[in-house]
Amino acid sequence: MHAPQPKKPAGKPIWPKIPAPFVRAMLAGHSALGLAFAALIYLVCFTGAVAVFTNEFNRWEQPTAPVLHSVTPAAVGAAFDEVLAKNPKAHDLFIRMPEPALPRLSVHGDDAKGGEHTWFADASGKIVAEQRTPWSNFQAKLHTALHLPGSWGFFLVGLTGVALLSSLVSGVLSHPRVFKDAFAFRWGGSKRLQEADLHNRISVWGLPFHVVVSLTGAFLGLSVLIVGVLAMVVFDGDREKVFALFSGPAVADDPRPAPVVDVAKGLAVLQARHPQAGFNYIFVEHPGETGQHLTINRTTPGKLSRGELFIVDGNAKVLGEAGFEGGNVGMAIYASLTPLHFGWFGGWPVKVAYFLLGLGLTAVTASGVAIWLARRRDKGRPAPRWERVWVAFCWSQPLAYGVSAIVALLAPSAPPVAVWGATTLLATASAFLWTPRTISIRLRLASAVSLVLAALVHLGLNTGHVVDPVAWIMDASLVLGAVALAVSVKLTKTPAGA
Amino acid sequence: MIGLGGLAIAPLALGGALLLRRAWTHADARRPWLIAGGWALLAAAIAASVPFLGAARGPSIILALASTVALAVVAAGVELREAKRKAPREVALEPSDRRRVAWRGWLRGFLAGPLGGAAAMAVGLAVAVCFPAEVKTRLIIGGMLVPFLWAGGMAWTLSDDKILRALAVLVGVTVAGFGAVFLKGSL
Repeated sequence: MHAPQPKKPAGKPIWPKIPAPFVRAMLAGHSALGLAFAALIYLVCFTGAVAVFTNEFNRWEQPTAPVLHSVTPAAVGAAFDEVLAKNPKAHDLFIRMPEPALPRLSVHGDDAKGGEHTWFADASGKIVAEQRTPWSNFQAKLHTALHLPGSWGFFLVGLTGVALLSSLVSGVLSHPRVFKDAFAFRWGGSKRLQEADLHNRISVWGLPFHVVVSLTGAFLGLSVLIVGVLAMVVFDGDREKVFALFSGPAVADDPRPAPVVDVAKGLAVLQARHPQAGFNYIFVEHPGETGQHLTINRTTPGKLSRGELFIVDGNAKVLGEAGFEGGNVGMAIYASLTPLHFGWFGGWPVKVAYFLLGLGLTAVTASGVAIWLARRRDKGRPAPRWERVWVAFCWSQPLAYGVSAIVALLAPSAPPVAVWGATTLLATASAFLWTPRTISIRLRLASAVSLVLAALVHLGLNTGHVVDPVAWIMDASLVLGAVALAVSVKLTKTPAGA
Repeated sequence: MIGLGGLAIAPLALGGALLLRRAWTHADARRPWLIAGGWALLAAAIAASVPFLGAARGPSIILALASTVALAVVAAGVELREAKRKAPREVALEPSDRRRVAWRGWLRGFLAGPLGGAAAMAVGLAVAVCFPAEVKTRLIIGGMLVPFLWAGGMAWTLSDDKILRALAVLVGVTVAGFGAVFLKGSL
């Protein structure tokens, strides 16, 4: 930390001189858009930062499931057969095979009544437990679809990505002091200056990350709409024809009965062809029908791509591949979108960086509204109610996540989204009780307590069992997060220079 | 282990950020060299990542790590101020004050939202259908253009005081884009 520095002699500015009226107009648009989407952008950014660790939370939430670093095709086949036997009329089954981020063998399918289940298998392929990870599923769905029905959630998240991308454009164009203030970070003193420094420094230095996640997120969210319109104008509304372009060789639908496909053989054939590669999932469609087939995903170490899809027919014959890694530019871009968006391409260092930068983007959103509120106050038009509501909403999220995680651990049948919603409402209602500073301090402390409690409950439930070691790292991370929140409260209570 | 390669190269990015910060805090004769050296180290980190971490994956890893270390450098230089003693600073520009007229607000929202989205979709589909490239490539590039153009249009229409001009441009782009798509008719 540094004491106030002497004023530097003004050098020749590097950034081109931007006319003041243009900057003022851009700022007006930036403010209007930011305010209109503030809560949604904040929510999507916060949930996105946490969603980077979706696989790790899956392992944390059910740490006693077998940890497997590799499996044989025979084990995969056995797991598939056992789950199919539970419902021989299943329309499709989804097999996940162990990979470094998620070292588990699981099979997802529906039962005779239409209920969906995922089962974990051991190294021999024997089903040993049903997956119970309601909180991990909740947080992932909150980020991708806000738990809204149908495609509405994806569209709204996509639209939020567009608004965020637009804010980045107008933010850069309305920031004439990019280089002049490149490292300025003043804390204390003027509230508006403090928030502006926080907002601008994170925005500028995190810009590559912000552009990547907002562009990929907007595209992923809007893809349903884009595909729908494209199908409407080019394929007479048949969306399947658009998807077929990216799915590899087509297998004709033929519902006549046939011996169930030999999943182990199909996987073994591909493994023999690609001995250095990993295979992380198999999608089995129409098992037991003549038109049955497998879609098997191969991962290639060292690539940004999500992998390559192979289509295998009911006789375990490889029909071809989708072409994600076949040299086509469009397919290469498409294959990199999900890893790029979630930070799933460079191991734990990139995940940690994405988490921190995601929290940074969340702070940018929070500070953007705080700047607007401080500006109003400086101009003699304070909005004290909104100041309280905004602070309460922002700090409601870590608390709602902590509380919903505790409830999910203790009562897995309770829907985490309901607990999250109720906690968010209650915490936001604190706006009616206290000043913004008190709200901020108390909700941060409550969040810290909830994170520690989540770790303690998790420890209590799993101590004495054979547990995935990543679960302990996640517990330690929760405690670390609680410490960070408590320290931030301590710093808030201690005035600068004291 | 796959992420450790990025950590090995990250010190280059850290060095670049430190040199840039040094140039920012000390306005002396060495400043241009420090700026050049800082950016050169950042560029070197990205270049070094290509052979070690992959042509697309390497720069993606380094950009994420470099952003993080640069923000750490910014945070390390935090200047604490006392709340009651406000330091003088240059007055920041204020957003332009617009007349609050209801119909202009609604029209501006319509331009930034539905019409901007339609115009972006029209251009994206026109690229997907008419652009001279392989079908999947133009579909993806056209699709990626949609959020990018929508965001740009949103920033523009929310900032431009001449909203009737923005209306005319967006309507024109929408008609031209979808017109091109319907004229070609197929991929």
